[in-house]
Amino acid sequence: MGRHLRALLLPAVAVIFTAGSSGRDWDLWLVLLLIPYTLAALARSLSFRYRFDADELVVRKGWVFRSERHIPYGRIQNIDAVQNVLHRALGVAEVRVETASGGEPEATMTVLPVTALTEMREFVFSDRQSSASTREPEAIDNATELLRLRPSEVLLYGFIESRGAVIMAGGFGVLWELGLFDRAFERVTGTELAGGGVIRQILRAAIGQAAVSLRAVIVTILFFVALLLVLRVLSMGWAYVRLHGFVLRRRGDDVRVDYGLLTRVSGTIPLQRIQTLTIAESPLHRLFDRVSVHVDTAGGNGSEEQPTRREPIAPLFRRGDLESLISALLPSVSLGHVEWQRPHAHAVRRARVRTGILAAVASGLAVGVLKWSSIAVVLALAVWAWVYARKYVAHLGWAFVGDAVVFRSGWLWRHLTVARFSKLQVITRVESPFDRRTGMARVRVDTAGATSSEHTIDIPFLPAETATELAATLSARAAETAFRW
Amino acid sequence: MCAVLAPLLLLGVVIGLFVGSLSFDLEVLLCVAWLAVSLLLAWLAQAWPEIEYRRVSYALDPEHIEIRRGVIWRAVTSVPKSRVQHIDVAQGPLERRYGLATLSIYTAGTEYARIDLPGLRHERAIAIRDRLLPGHERDTGDGT
Repeated sequence: MGRHLRALLLPAVAVIFTAGSSGRDWDLWLVLLLIPYTLAALARSLSFRYRFDADELVVRKGWVFRSERHIPYGRIQNIDAVQNVLHRALGVAEVRVETASGGEPEATMTVLPVTALTEMREFVFSDRQSSASTREPEAIDNATELLRLRPSEVLLYGFIESRGAVIMAGGFGVLWELGLFDRAFERVTGTELAGGGVIRQILRAAIGQAAVSLRAVIVTILFFVALLLVLRVLSMGWAYVRLHGFVLRRRGDDVRVDYGLLTRVSGTIPLQRIQTLTIAESPLHRLFDRVSVHVDTAGGNGSEEQPTRREPIAPLFRRGDLESLISALLPSVSLGHVEWQRPHAHAVRRARVRTGILAAVASGLAVGVLKWSSIAVVLALAVWAWVYARKYVAHLGWAFVGDAVVFRSGWLWRHLTVARFSKLQVITRVESPFDRRTGMARVRVDTAGATSSEHTIDIPFLPAETATELAATLSARAAETAFRW
Repeated sequence: MCAVLAPLLLLGVVIGLFVGSLSFDLEVLLCVAWLAVSLLLAWLAQAWPEIEYRRVSYALDPEHIEIRRGVIWRAVTSVPKSRVQHIDVAQGPLERRYGLATLSIYTAGTEYARIDLPGLRHERAIAIRDRLLPGHERDTGDGT
């Protein structure tokens, strides 16, 4: 089946365009500077060749310094394709082939015809069960759709996630330059010269230097409410552009995501390669009865420099249908009835020490700044410390489910992470001096590709014997299985 | 111990010159505090390696290697043999002088992608490496 295939990857036009767009200003000088760069890019892409061998992808590149890279199909974690507007106009895509090496994608093909991408997916992912020739090309029909986000859902995702602050930070400078905000901000914060801004007034009043007018308070509150609303609206706009037409499909043993209004992204993840699965929910998620589901693969999705960070595998999912999604992604795991194991009986005390210290530091600052009017703040902090510790411990739990270990934590922002035994790498039992005094310990589970995840299996406040037992069990169960990335 | 004390003494002289312009009481206080701190540090420099060494241990069984480390925060790290990606046995100049070696176990994990076991005799490190690598299950590294 060693069918050789050579593809000339790049229409020269596209190179000039993409190379050109990296410089912001179209000044003549910059264009002149770009010429050698463009030539180099052209040479690089003209020398780029790839072929499909029986069991590996061979990528050759370079003109002066040549390199030939062999990537076995079995090692490929996922194939991502990104198309910006220009790519789409020309019917090409940027393709990233990721292996478990982390960081950089193993091979990036900047401009690959879409047909070649389809072919590549066929070759790489059909290798496992059947020979490539017997499979029909890119049959979307025999794929089951796991999730399709309607525009309203996409907007809701933007509202819940609130990435507005990031966009705001970017757009802020521009608006500032244009002088649009100056007047509005002067009214609220006041300038150094006038000194009559509303926020200044309130701060003065808090320190005890001036009386505060009701009008000032109302204006400030309205200002912050408006700011929050603007951030949410911006975030919704961002979500609409980024995630428009989000579809998650399962086809055989792979899942595939497609999304994007201007820049189309499509990624393929073999189910076998899912290292951990995390379900996240914020108070807003609960208000709308939704959750979001992330998966970690061992591929290079953790590198922050990449402009296209991978989105959650299910950005917004109805909680009621969660069971069906989990069973599609991790067939051996069912989260229907989990018998949660509890932390140590005295865990709340330990948690209270932590929140208590935090609250004490914060109260100290408050008293230092606000003097007498800080009583309310100190009281609120004390109540928070008391309640938070209880609630945090109440939501801690771990369990064995099928061939996986599950860990949940968090009170308002909750996370639940599932890791199959076959994906566990290193099991660690950690004991701090405080743990030793109270007879507790912590068990940490390390998996591949966890760099980007916000929640890992790291179970605190376990009774010491339980921790020893749990670590031993996990280690034994992991050793029973072979790790196949 | 001398190697630690000498720079500390030098540092003390510099600090002493620096605070020379301050009032007498403060100067005495600072000198006493500095003496106490440097004595403590010197004692630690002397005693810590031994304390730390006493708390490092490992256990090998047919399926895993277990490494215990840490004096204040104690960690027991267990790596199944099937998860070992590769192993380094490294010797720095000092380690070479005393016939020691550091065994580094690499896994596919994230936080514990590399686990070090320092202070082994070189032959012992090689023996552990051979027992951890696949296909050497029956190989005995005569665990002395």
